[in-house]
Amino acid sequence: MPPIPTQTTADVPGQGLAVAAESLYVVNLLLLPGAAFLALWWLHHRHADSAPPLAANHLRQTFRACLWAGVLLVVANLLIIALGGYRTPATWVVVVLYFTCCHSALVLFGVLGLARAMAGKLYRFPLVGAPLLPETGS
Amino acid sequence: MLQYQSQAVAKPYFIAAIALFAGQVLFGLILGLQYVVGDFLFPAIPFNVARMVHTNLLIVWLLFGFMGAAYYLVPEEAERELHSPVLALIVFWVFLIAGALTVLGYLLVPYSSLARLTQNELFPTMGREFLEQPTITKIGIVVVALAFLYNVGMTVLKGRKTVINVILLIGLAGLAVMFLFAFYNPNNLVLDKYFWWWVVHLWVEGVWELILGSILAFVLIKVTGVDREVIEKWLYVIIGAALITGIVGTGHHYYWIGTPDYWQWLGSAFSALEPIPFFMMTLFAFNMVNRRRRDHPNKAATLWALGTAVMGFLGAGVWGFMHTLAPINYYTHGTQITAAHGHMAFYGAYAMIVLTIISYAMPHLRGQGTAAGERQQVMEMWAFWLMTVAMVFITLFLTAAGVLQVWLQRVSEVPQPFIAVQQQIGLFYWMREVAGVVFLIGLIVYIASYFVRGDEAVTTAQPARV
Repeated sequence: MPPIPTQTTADVPGQGLAVAAESLYVVNLLLLPGAAFLALWWLHHRHADSAPPLAANHLRQTFRACLWAGVLLVVANLLIIALGGYRTPATWVVVVLYFTCCHSALVLFGVLGLARAMAGKLYRFPLVGAPLLPETGS
Repeated sequence: MLQYQSQAVAKPYFIAAIALFAGQVLFGLILGLQYVVGDFLFPAIPFNVARMVHTNLLIVWLLFGFMGAAYYLVPEEAERELHSPVLALIVFWVFLIAGALTVLGYLLVPYSSLARLTQNELFPTMGREFLEQPTITKIGIVVVALAFLYNVGMTVLKGRKTVINVILLIGLAGLAVMFLFAFYNPNNLVLDKYFWWWVVHLWVEGVWELILGSILAFVLIKVTGVDREVIEKWLYVIIGAALITGIVGTGHHYYWIGTPDYWQWLGSAFSALEPIPFFMMTLFAFNMVNRRRRDHPNKAATLWALGTAVMGFLGAGVWGFMHTLAPINYYTHGTQITAAHGHMAFYGAYAMIVLTIISYAMPHLRGQGTAAGERQQVMEMWAFWLMTVAMVFITLFLTAAGVLQVWLQRVSEVPQPFIAVQQQIGLFYWMREVAGVVFLIGLIVYIASYFVRGDEAVTTAQPARV
């Protein structure tokens, strides 16, 4: 197959910040829940309004997705246990299946976002992401 | 359409792999039904025999797939013809006939008679899970592996050495070396299980990951056009992570077999890290596709490649982590949670990577050009989704069965016996069987896609849209 001219994605403004935001989102889910969210909140608070469109997009998306992750993983599971009863086998069947599927889906969304950030592209989280802003493209 | 004519020897390997895959799925359905209708096909095909055929066919079809993949990609990577295409074809027929005779032996003769018939008492190696093959078959496998490694190794040695073909060769050599522990069959049961895992675990969570990584890297270079240097750097990091975590991670099989307590710490710590290479593989695949320089016309192959990364991460990574820590495994060991993990991990990591390389290579091998026609690809992608979604549901139903099993059998204040619990989780087994039927339909669609005619194959790639 003949070589095709390269599309370069190097030096897209805000790419480093975008990658950092997506990485913190994934770390929050996999390694340091809470601490990584605080770091992401700080980045979002400091840069979301002033960052280049790519970084602003990823900061907004990950911050919102993190909040949703908290609701879906912590609040929803506590509700399931509260409603179903702690010592009921059905509760644990639902909790294990729900938590595993939900957590895996959120991690995979983060992987897709991180891959998009590393390629210098905008991203909207499926289901939990905010709509892209038309005026800035972010 | 082939860059090197000797690549054509991959075709019979791929066809045999698909045929054996179909056999594996059929026996899976028989087994699934036997879980809920205990005497189904009894005494013609008892449960233990069906299980043996199901798992052995899995191993054999994956090996055929790996060998076909090597024969296809090594000449392109090494930039020369295969050392001996004739040897490759001889090995194919020897392996196929030996495999078929072994499976027929399982089905037609009681296992103890098969052991007598094959003189197992002279060099006893039979009777262990996944390594049930008669000793003579095991020796045949070693001969096949040596001839195969010689052929591929000579091709690489005489040609260009790339990261991909060297890592593939290391993986294949590791596969052959680790299989040698199948011949070690000590009387001490602890030692027996200890080294049995050197075959089973160090295959699937060790050297096979090298094979998986190199095939995935090869296909991604072809379908995305991303620089080889970028992909090779990712490959180094992924296989490094796979070996660092996977080798000591063997310890997660040593928790309860009579080995020292420190394995509970080592096994837990290292195997908790085992999802990392699969996480990186997913990131790698999507990153390469996002940075692609060309829109390759073989969309089905790209879909299989991305699917491999995602399903490998879910099956091997997430479902493996679910029960890998010793305090959790204390309760879940040997339950349907293990079966759930096994199904999705094998399908996601290994079945799908073989289907990926078949999807990429077959249009070339069949003289169709770079990609099959539109209609054929649409059918193949339908097959992808049917099989993959079915496997997700098989895994979910088995997980539900497993959690309930753990509770009723091991956590409850009044633990119930195994068989009593099996009857109570029958509903999940029925649902798993339905999902299995959908999987079979997906496989039929997949096989049928090779017989579709009527539209033109595509031969050129387009620059990627910005």
